[in-house]
This record gives sequence, C-alpha cells and structure tokens, in this order.
Amino acid sequence: MSKRAGQKQAARVVREQLARERRRRRTIWTSVIAAAVLVIGGVIGWGIYATQRSGEFVPPPGATEDGTGIVTGSGPVTVDIYEDFLCPACRAFEEQSGATLDQLAAEGKAQVVYHPIAILDRFSTTRYSTRSSAASGCAAEGGKFREYARLLFENQPPEGGAGLSDDRLIELAAGIGLGDDFASCVRDGRYKGWTEHVTDAAAERGVRGTPTILVNGQELRDRSPEGIRSAVEGAGG
Amino acid sequence: MSVTLTTTESGPGIRWRTLRPWLGTVVRLGLAAVWLYAGASKVGDLAASGRAVHAYQLMPYEVAKVVGAALPFVELGLGVLLLLGVATRLSAVVSTLLLVAFIVGIVSAWARDLAIDCGCFGTGGELPPGESPSYWLDLLRDLGFLLLAGFLVIWPVTRISIDEWLASAPEAEEGDE
Repeated sequence: MSKRAGQKQAARVVREQLARERRRRRTIWTSVIAAAVLVIGGVIGWGIYATQRSGEFVPPPGATEDGTGIVTGSGPVTVDIYEDFLCPACRAFEEQSGATLDQLAAEGKAQVVYHPIAILDRFSTTRYSTRSSAASGCAAEGGKFREYARLLFENQPPEGGAGLSDDRLIELAAGIGLGDDFASCVRDGRYKGWTEHVTDAAAERGVRGTPTILVNGQELRDRSPEGIRSAVEGAGG
Repeated sequence: MSVTLTTTESGPGIRWRTLRPWLGTVVRLGLAAVWLYAGASKVGDLAASGRAVHAYQLMPYEVAKVVGAALPFVELGLGVLLLLGVATRLSAVVSTLLLVAFIVGIVSAWARDLAIDCGCFGTGGELPPGESPSYWLDLLRDLGFLLLAGFLVIWPVTRISIDEWLASAPEAEEGDE
C-alpha cells in the first residue's frame, strides 16, 4: 500500500468515526426531546384537570352535612340513590320505584338521599349531565328537588344529542312554580361546582355506575319496589 | 473497488431488507393512529378518565385522578411522535410499557370479576347490569397493539420519518442501521 493510500484510508476512518459520533449525539437529543414531550404532555394534562376543577362549591339548602346529596324525608334507615339525569336505566328505575321511595320517606321509614352525579357528560354535546344536575341543585334551593327530578326524567333527552337547553330546563321549572331565581341560578351555573363535588365523592365511595342504590351503605341488587321496601324494613325501617 | 453480491444477500434476504423499513412505516402509522384515537377519545372529559382508571380499583382515587388526567396527553404525545417518526425506538419502548400496564390491568380486573368497561377508548366505568365485559376482545386487541410496538422496538428504522431524515442529513453517512 502506498503512503498516499494509507493517508486516505486514515482520513476516511476518522471521518466515519466523526459521523458515527454525530449520529449518536443526534439520537440522544431526539430521545431527550421525545421523552420531554411525553413528560410535559402528562404534566399539562394534570394542570388542565386541576384548573378545570372549581374546588369551591356551595351545597344547596337541604343537602347532607358533607354536601354530597339532597335529603328527603327522615327515618332510621338511610337509602342513597346515585343517578345521572341522562341515564336511561335511571329513568326506568324512577318510573318503577320512584313512588315507593317517596312513600318510604313520607312514612318516616327511611331518609332518602339523592346524589345527582354527572358521569355521562361525554354522551351529550353540551355536558347535559352536569347542567341538569346543577339545575336540580337550583330546584333544591326552591325546595322542589324531587318534583324537578321527576320532570327531568320524564323529559329525558336521548344520549348522544344536545340534551335539553338551559331555556328548556327553566321552562320545565316554571311549570312547578320555580321562577326568576331558578332561571338566574341555571344561567350562572351556581351549582356546577357542587355537581363536581357530588360526582367526585361518589367515585371516591366506589360508585361506578348509575343507578346505584345503597341501603344503609349496602348495595341493593333488587331494585323493584318490593325489593326496596323489604330491604328497608329488613334494615329496621 | 468491485461490488460483489454474495448469494445469501440476494433473493428473499434482500427483499426483506428493502421491504422492512416500509413495513415499519405502516406499523408506525398504525400504532400512531391507535394512540391518537385513544387519547382523543379521553381528552374531552379528564374527570371521567380518572374515574375509568379508578374503576380498576388498583390505586387510591387521588392517584387515579392524576393518572387519568395525564394519560390522554401522554397517549396523544406518543401518537404525534410515532406519526412524525421522531425517536421511534423510544416511543415504541414507552408504548410497550403502557400496553403491558393496560394488559395487566385488564387481566387483574378479569381475575377479580370486576364488571367494568376497560375505558380503553373513552367511556369506562362499571357496566350496566346484564351486560358482561368483553375482556377477551380487549386483551386480544391490546396484544395486537403490543406486536406493533414490539416490531418497532426491534426494527425502529422506517421510511418517511424524521429519524430517517436526520440520519441522512448531508454530513452524516448512512450507516447500516
């Protein structure tokens, strides 16, 4: 091999080494950037969620002490009802057993606590679950939670649509004597923070679907009027 | 210098070497679509995403809320990285880890007889009574995605990617990989 050829080869080896080094550094940098994208993405997600939460809330009058539900009636047994106003199974439950619950509350056998949770917001284009739950808080302020809840179920919109408009929510309430204060309550979203609180507390308690019925903390499987009555009477009501 | 092709490099071998990076592109875009769809379906309701994580009953609610809020954005990030082909191997490794975590979650929910929707693409939570979970399908699907991710971990070099463009930038000579 000539001297010239040897030098050429040495230069090539150096060039290749430099190129390899450059490639390596590039790989490291792209990896660092990619990892940063993922980590920052996660942090942004948490940040958005944290700022979305209003944190502060005012429970409507008639709410439980911890503000997670609306109390009707009184009695030795506590029945907790978790419902979403957009949930068709909740509507069916109300039609079937709503009157029995009202009776049990009126007879002094049970304190029935309604938790209007909003877990189906993604099944309407306007977060109807949250809006309707907050509106039921406004109705509680007017002392007509149960009447209004019954109306909401009777007029339940289908899943996947826009739900009832705020105007329609106010119109329904006007039919049972809830007036201007109710209207401004709905328009201001006065109880949206409360809805969040109710929903969060339910998830924390392990409620994962609607309707969920608890009799003295025990989940009730038989949701028929007879099933509810016998569970309440069995629990001492 | 003369170039000689040895017999082992001709035939099926050489076809695989030409085709593989293109196949990799298809796999990469497929996995990108999975992550983008998974992330997009959850990002609209971060509270619900947290509840879906909580439904697995594997962590306290406070932790589940953080995981649920961060997850859609990590999924979207992975989708974008894979779509562009940036740090493909790293993205594929992270994809693999996430998918393994999902599979463990589904298997454990199945083993404990929890009746939940996996929440893989939005929704999630407890199923209405009478509806049985389709853990089978969820598992098979996730295993399929795991194969895609595994392919990219082993062969991260794909065509039409930022990685390729960076590697072939003027000063750097194309190496074997």
